[in-house]
Amino acid sequence: MADEPLLRAVDLTRHFRLGGMFEKQVLHAVDDFDLTIHEREIVALVGESGSGKSTVARLLARVYPPTRGEIYYRGRPIHTLRSRRALSWYRGEVAMVFQDPFSAFNPVFRVSHGVMRNIALHRPELKRAQRQPEAERVCQSVGLGPKMLTRFPYEMSGGERQRIGFAQALAVRPKLILADEPVSMLDVSIRAGVLNMMAGLRDQEGVSILYITHDIASARYVADRVIVMYAGHLVESGPTEAVLGDPRHPYTQLLLSAVGDPREKVELISSDTGEPPRVINPSEGCRFRWRCPHAIEVCGQVTPQPMPVGSTQVACHVAAPAPQGLTGPAVTTKT
Amino acid sequence: MAEPLLEVDELTVDYLTETADVRAVDRVSFRLDAGEFLGIVGESGCGKSTLLFGMTQLLSPPGEVTGGSVVFRGRDMVRLSPGELRNTRWRDYSVVMQSAMNALNPMKSIGAQFKDALEAHGDPSAEQIRQRSVEVLGLVGIDAAHLRSYPHQLSGGMRQRAMIAMALLFTPQLVIMDEPTSALDVVAQRSLMSKIKDLQRSLGFAIIFVTHDMSVVSRYSDRVMVMYAGQTAEEAPTDAIFERPLHPYTRGLMTAFPSVTGPRRELAGIPGAPPDLVRPPSGCRFNPRCPEVMPVCRSREPELYVVDDADVRCLLYAERPAEAR
Repeated sequence: MADEPLLRAVDLTRHFRLGGMFEKQVLHAVDDFDLTIHEREIVALVGESGSGKSTVARLLARVYPPTRGEIYYRGRPIHTLRSRRALSWYRGEVAMVFQDPFSAFNPVFRVSHGVMRNIALHRPELKRAQRQPEAERVCQSVGLGPKMLTRFPYEMSGGERQRIGFAQALAVRPKLILADEPVSMLDVSIRAGVLNMMAGLRDQEGVSILYITHDIASARYVADRVIVMYAGHLVESGPTEAVLGDPRHPYTQLLLSAVGDPREKVELISSDTGEPPRVINPSEGCRFRWRCPHAIEVCGQVTPQPMPVGSTQVACHVAAPAPQGLTGPAVTTKT
Repeated sequence: MAEPLLEVDELTVDYLTETADVRAVDRVSFRLDAGEFLGIVGESGCGKSTLLFGMTQLLSPPGEVTGGSVVFRGRDMVRLSPGELRNTRWRDYSVVMQSAMNALNPMKSIGAQFKDALEAHGDPSAEQIRQRSVEVLGLVGIDAAHLRSYPHQLSGGMRQRAMIAMALLFTPQLVIMDEPTSALDVVAQRSLMSKIKDLQRSLGFAIIFVTHDMSVVSRYSDRVMVMYAGQTAEEAPTDAIFERPLHPYTRGLMTAFPSVTGPRRELAGIPGAPPDLVRPPSGCRFNPRCPEVMPVCRSREPELYVVDDADVRCLLYAERPAEAR
């Protein structure tokens, strides 16, 4: 399997049942979501809150199993990993970094605790005496001095803690880091440092990163590829410059127009109030259709599938009509 | 020059703890005219929320206003008695908190909370209450049916708009907002900001808008005040600060966020972390992180200097002291 990517998810679906025993309310957090991550690649997963992007990360980390669909890691379906040993192997290959650096650490331990523990658990090839130098090395690769290891979490700033979060993840020598909003709790002035560190980890340590964010500008800054999610569906994916330079899906266009450039003057975009999508017992059809300025009849009947448009994949009946039948008027200009 | 709506003069707030006294807000002064939109920008821990709390007597111990005055419509707000405060609060000025989720009472419907506020400042009839509530909800674009809704039935953006509706019940002259958009998604954030600006244009109230995100205020504010470590670092008209930021910290903030348009360029950010206010650095408080630091910055404390229409606390501009105004 020469072309097998590092990680591949096919038809990934996760539903949550709501309410009591007799209620039939089902929340569709993620539906039929495909994802590939190659080696040495930063993939940004962009979407607003409730779009299912954190659920994807938790599915990949095996926090809970998918309702349907399969995740292949190096060609191996991960639901077959059942033994303690196999799971430990997977967790040593795929590590996670959390959003909130203020609650992700045990306050009674020095930060060396988490790093050393990960080394002891996942790096059996290292002798006891080699663990400390290795801990110092991962600390340095996230831009912190070795002295930081002796500190307690409360002695560190938010940016330093988030770097320690990455150091802990790196200590297991992973191939893939799932980073769930790693910079959104940090101050603006130190975000750039963490983003640059992520790019450095890809270039020097050769790890891949799934960078989950709602900040499309930072996705553009670090990511090689971008996947835009809306209401549990993939709406657009492709190389960063292709997706963000020439967005085809109306939702991607809306997201980009909402960010704009802070140095530009106000020009009001639309009356869209940013209401989040409803994904409890959703009906068939495009989930963006209520907010979409281009919605046509078919959008309410058939769920659009991702179709190739140039170098990107777009799930939209208008921007990327299905090849046979079910056609709508082609839209070439933005309104 | 006309009398300003609000004049904050050398306001100082200390947190008096057993181990150390921390000066969270250090002699901050600014003035606000009627109908003006002032953005206050700073990172976490720079004292921006403490400044708001100090101005509005919302500080809880150990925080305490230890100096300065806040003159609003001719009266010093930090020295009002609880009775006087109750009278003026919400009627003449109102505060919109960061998280409407926590600011609204989860046990009461939106309508009941509006009623409480209206009854606190008069004796309106049931019909008047209903009329006014429907009116303010309409202002922020929420259907009147939601008067019977409870906070958990509304989305984050709607809750925040309901909170703004509540702040407008008495058409105050000043609305103070503490990061009202930072818990929202970009699209909702943009829509809320446009709404706030529209309301301000049509109703004419003044806004103090506190945020950590420079890009939020850039399009909407008339003036921007940048705070660092409890002090004003720079204050200037919005256009001026974006075209020609003077303080190295402001410049750092401007180049710290990536853009979605234009060429991709390397971001530097600002190295280091904000100082510990228990032991602020000697001299200029920004000197350990400053890219343009000079030897004198480590010993001499900068004052606010006037450069064109900006005030800036940086020794690069030291030859023009602010007193010359």
